[in-house]
Parts: sequence; structure tokens; C-alpha cells
Amino acid sequence: MEAIPGPSTARKRRRDEENVPESEDYDEALSLEQSLTFSDTLVALRIMRAQFPQIEKVSVQPFILRSQLYSSVKDRTQVDRELESLRRDKVLRIFKLNTGQDDHAIMFMDDYLNQIERVIKRMAAKKQDELAVFEWFKTHVITSKLEPSIEHQELCSLLSFGGNVKDEHISLLINAGLLTRQLIDPNMYWFAIPNIGSLLKGLSQGRKELLSFLNRRRYKEMMLAPLEKKRLRLSPLDMRFHLRDLIGSGHVKTVHTPTGLVVRVSKD
Amino acid sequence: MWKDLGDREAGKLRPYSFSNRITSDRIASLQLSNYKEIVSPHRGAVNSLQVDLTEGRYLLSGASDASAAVYDIQRATEYEGGSLVAKHKSIFVVDKQHEHGHKYAISSAIWYPIDTGLFITGSYDHYINVWDTNTTQVVVNFKMPGKIYRTAMSSLATAHMLIAAGTEDVQVRLCDIASGAFAHTLSGHRDGVMTVEWSTSSEWVLVTGGCDGAIRFWDIRRAGCFLVLDQSQSQLGRRPPLLECSTANKAPMSKSFPASQSVNVRSRAPQRKFAYGNGSKQSATGRTSSQAKGLVRQRLHPGMLSSQDRATSHYGAVTGLKVTDDGMYLLSAGSDSRLRLWDIMSGCNTLVNFETVRLQTSKAMQLAITNDSALVFVPCMTAVKAFDVWSGKTAMTFRGHYEYVNCCWLSLQDQELYTGGNDRQILVWSPSRLNFDEMDHGSREEPIHAQDQDNWSD
Repeated sequence: MEAIPGPSTARKRRRDEENVPESEDYDEALSLEQSLTFSDTLVALRIMRAQFPQIEKVSVQPFILRSQLYSSVKDRTQVDRELESLRRDKVLRIFKLNTGQDDHAIMFMDDYLNQIERVIKRMAAKKQDELAVFEWFKTHVITSKLEPSIEHQELCSLLSFGGNVKDEHISLLINAGLLTRQLIDPNMYWFAIPNIGSLLKGLSQGRKELLSFLNRRRYKEMMLAPLEKKRLRLSPLDMRFHLRDLIGSGHVKTVHTPTGLVVRVSKD
Repeated sequence: MWKDLGDREAGKLRPYSFSNRITSDRIASLQLSNYKEIVSPHRGAVNSLQVDLTEGRYLLSGASDASAAVYDIQRATEYEGGSLVAKHKSIFVVDKQHEHGHKYAISSAIWYPIDTGLFITGSYDHYINVWDTNTTQVVVNFKMPGKIYRTAMSSLATAHMLIAAGTEDVQVRLCDIASGAFAHTLSGHRDGVMTVEWSTSSEWVLVTGGCDGAIRFWDIRRAGCFLVLDQSQSQLGRRPPLLECSTANKAPMSKSFPASQSVNVRSRAPQRKFAYGNGSKQSATGRTSSQAKGLVRQRLHPGMLSSQDRATSHYGAVTGLKVTDDGMYLLSAGSDSRLRLWDIMSGCNTLVNFETVRLQTSKAMQLAITNDSALVFVPCMTAVKAFDVWSGKTAMTFRGHYEYVNCCWLSLQDQELYTGGNDRQILVWSPSRLNFDEMDHGSREEPIHAQDQDNWSD
């Protein structure tokens, strides 16, 4: 599905974005209708990173959900394969989120390292000693283990390249939010994005709110243009974020009409 | 079509590609049949469907009300709608009233692969019954420790007649019809086994998918499984041909083949031995995947080291498995609502994304695939979708059932799709028939024209 080009104004821009975006202040200038699909995964990732909403209370670097990518690039197999090659090239990292549904978050490697730096500063401010484990984590574990999960033995052996590893170090990592235990398997950990808890709650609640809003309408649909301007009460993330996510996960679909795109709840 | 026939006659078109073209055209025009109907005697959800492999003439169905029925799908029992619709009633039904019938739901009903003289049913009442078709009597039965989710027999087997049974117990059991006893027990799964399938390239290889999300390959002549599929091992599409093997495969971990099975502490590297480094056939040689976990461990038998491998291929349970006819690829459906395509030789996920939104999670499902592996039919909630295997795009959607669809079977001989669901119906999807075909209906008594005529006909 392609976006319909908007009316010719000064801010009109072409639908197919082969060129890498030059500046990053495209976000407010564009309506979702104009920038719904992209041609390339990396371009899509960069633009969605730029469009990540600013949240005051929580300091989290921009991340993109996998379902958002599926809604933005037409061919999902191509998305999966490009993500895989970018992941192997250490350009980005993929995390499995614990929202209960099958969500994956994609974060650029630089952003993730920035996030770890913030965590280290926060832990130092709380006067925690034994901060060396974070350095070991950054230099040894992140660079060599590219999957979203890691086994306990392997974690210990990778950290021991830095120094003597004790159980307190692992607890420190878990307290900082960089690792979470897996529920099914006590020996495996997921890599996690620190400080993301409130955003995840906002994500699930925002999804429910948007879906219930559309379901309450008589025909379970709404034009995209006015829908985009609404604000969600329960979620700090903006409407565009949630719309891309729901379109990509298939709960909602867009239909072309002569007056523009219409967002409709899909029954399947 | 006539031009193609002429080309084939002249030799311009190869016979195989001619027949492939016709079958794929017919499959692409599948729709709910308006001339064929199956009258289902079941009073419960239809769980399993299979057309026999020898003649392609008899359809066997197993349902949740402990009934199993056989239908002749080539000759109709009666006609109605003015001789336009053929109705196929069941030839016989075995249900709870039968003295050796099952007491609870039948989860799996399969034909004996050699001929239609026997069929095997597995049920939630912990029994596998082997029935004689002509006398509808149970000849052998096997008691399992748990509810049976799936049974399978190898269609290639010449040296054995083993029934593989996946139950809610963690062990997969192989039952031997010839001796009436259990031949093997395969351990390695950590939760119940929901699906079992035999390989289409070797009579000794069994693939099982468990509720723990793991897919294991077993060579039944040895202990332990030789391959566990890991969803994080991926390759980008098809494997490149042999000549480019050294640079093309960009797997993240090093490939190390364990020379000795000693217990050492070492960082976990998946032992994936890539087939093109070595010319030998995959299924016959040993490719044990061993994992080293802790400092102190008891010495395990080398074949059992695979039970330490906890790789998962889905984030939930594996609910459906299908091996392609050429034996090279495996399709798996999971309760995380994903469908994955695996390259069996390298054991990698090919990262094809099938656009499945939701899949049924509580029951095992049957997938169907065309013999040239171009389309896969997957029951998605109340519809059956046909996906293109290599691009993952939805090619066709079949909506007709009122409730969830559990099973589907593609009859390659006639290019018809049979689907069964929770609404107790078995629906037939056949290629659209534009011109009325006189040859198929020669057996009816009345001429067709008499039915079509009315006062205005000439």
C-alpha cells in the first residue's frame, strides 16, 4: 500500500525515499498519511527514530518496534533479512520485550551504549561500588553476543574476560535493568533496555485504548487524518507510534478511499 | 491449454513442466466446491484428515466425539440439486458405540501407508488403535502414558512399520505393529510433544515438535536427537550452491564439530556442522549437538548430550510441522502465531516472514503443501490461507468454516483441498469448473439436459 501524496504545499515530499534524510526535523512537518511506507529498512529505521516522541519524565533513547517496521516496508521477508544483516554488522540490537505479546524492540547500537552510560551515571550517583562490571558488560558481552538472550554460563565466562565475576555482579546488572531472567528457563537471561518499564505499560495501555476507541465507533473505522491528531490519555507515546505498531501487527488495517486513508479494525 | 497440448505433442514442452503447469493453474483457482460435498457424520470437531497415499481415493477423518469415518472421494453416494452436486456420505463410521472404539476425542487418524487395509487412530483416552478397514475391528492397540496428540507412520519405510506417537508425556514412543510392543522411546523434549512427522527423504529420521518450543530431529537407529532447530540460527534465504560456500554463509558463531564428547567448560557455540563442508549425506551421519553447561556434570552417553540443548524454534509450543516433498525444508507453525521455514541441511531459519496474524494455540494443526513446494496451506483461525513458500505473501484465503479450522489436506491427484474444523464440517475446495464436463457424470441415470431445460429452452 502506498501513501497518497499530500496537497502541494511547501512541505510536500515524495513518497519513495531512496535518499537518506538529510536533517532530522521532519517529524512534525509530516502527517502519517504521507510517510506511511518507505522503500528500505534502514531508511525506515532512521526516520522512525527521528519521529520517536519526546517524553519528559523518562529518559529512554529512541527505539523502534518490529511491528512498526512491518507496517512501513511492504515486504516483511525483506525486513527480516535486512534486520538480520544489520544485526550481524552490529549496527543495531534487537530486544525481546516482556509485554506479554510477541514484541521486539530495535535500538541502534550507539543509542544503546548511550543508555548504558546513563545507567552507569545513575548507579554511580546512588553510590554503588563495583561499577567495573558495567564496563566489562559493555566491552565483552555486548560486542560478542548479538542475540537477544544469553545463558548464565556464557555470561559469566564473557564477563570474566574483564575480571573476577561474582554473583553480586550479575545481581547488579539485573538491578540496573540491563538483564532480565527468563520466566521459562532459570538459566537464561534476556537483554533488556533499562528504564523502559513505564513506556511498556504505556504501550500496552495505549494499544488497548486505541483499539477500544475504534471498536466503539459504529463502523469500527476512522479517517487517518483526524485520528492522528487525537491524543491518547493513558500512553506517553504518541498516536503515530501506536498506529504504526497496530497496523504492523495486523490488528488494524488501512484502506484507500477517495478522500484519504481510513483506519479500520481488522476482523480475523 | 490446447496449444500447450499441441506443444507437448510436438516436443516443444516437456511433459513434466506441462503437467506442473496444469496442476498449479488448477491449484491457483481453488474455491469452495459447488459440485462436491462431503456429508460429515461427526458430532464433534474434526481433528484430523488424510487421503490415503496409495490410491488417493479414500478420505479418513477423526473427530472429537471419538468417531472416525472413511469416505470415497471419487465416487459419490448420491446426487442432488438436479444431479449437479455430488454428495459423498461416509462408507462407515466407528464411534463410541463400537466395542473397541475410543472413549474420548480422536486427535489423529492416519492410513497405513502401504495400503488401505489398516488405519491407525490415536486418541485422548491414551490408546492407539490399529483397525482393519474391511472388518472395522481393532487388531492391535497400544496404551500410552498420556493423551495422544499426534501419530505418524513413515511413507518411505521398507524396513520397519513403526508408529511414532507424540503425547503429553515428554518421551516420544515408537510402536511396532509387527510385534505389538514399543520399539523405542526417544527422550529429549522437556514438555509434551504436540507434532510428529517422518522425514520424506529418509525412513529413519523423525521430526518432533514439542510444547517447549523445540523441534528435534531423531535418527531412530541411534540414541538422542541429532539436530535441534534454533530460531536464532538464521540464514538469508536459500543456501548458496556449493562453490560459494566459504564466503556466503554469514553465521555469527564459529562452526566447531565436537571431536570428542568430553565434558569441558567452554563458551556455548552452537555445533552446527554445515553440510557443504563435507560431502556426506546428512541424515545418516552423526551430527550430535553437544552442549557444555557446568563445571561438575555427570558423564552422559554421547547421544544424550542433546538433551542439554535448550534451543527453541518458537516462542511458544510448536503446533504444526510439515516436511517438503524433496526433504530439504521444514515448515513449522507455533503458538506464537508464527510460521517458520527451516533449511534442514543447515538447520537454519530462512527468515521468510509469513503474514500470519493469529494461529490457533490450543490444538495441533495440520499443514498442507503442494508437491513442488510453492504454496503452503495453513489453517488460520476460521480461514485457511495459502502462502507462497519463499516470499511469505498470502496467495489465497479460503473462508467457509464457521469456527476454527483444525486440519487441511491437499489431494495432489485431483488438486482438491479438504478442510475440517470445529464446526464439525469437512469442506471441499476444488478448482473452478467452467464448462460442464460430460465425462465425469456419465454414470448418472438422467441426461443433464432434461434438468436444465425449462419452458424457454429451445
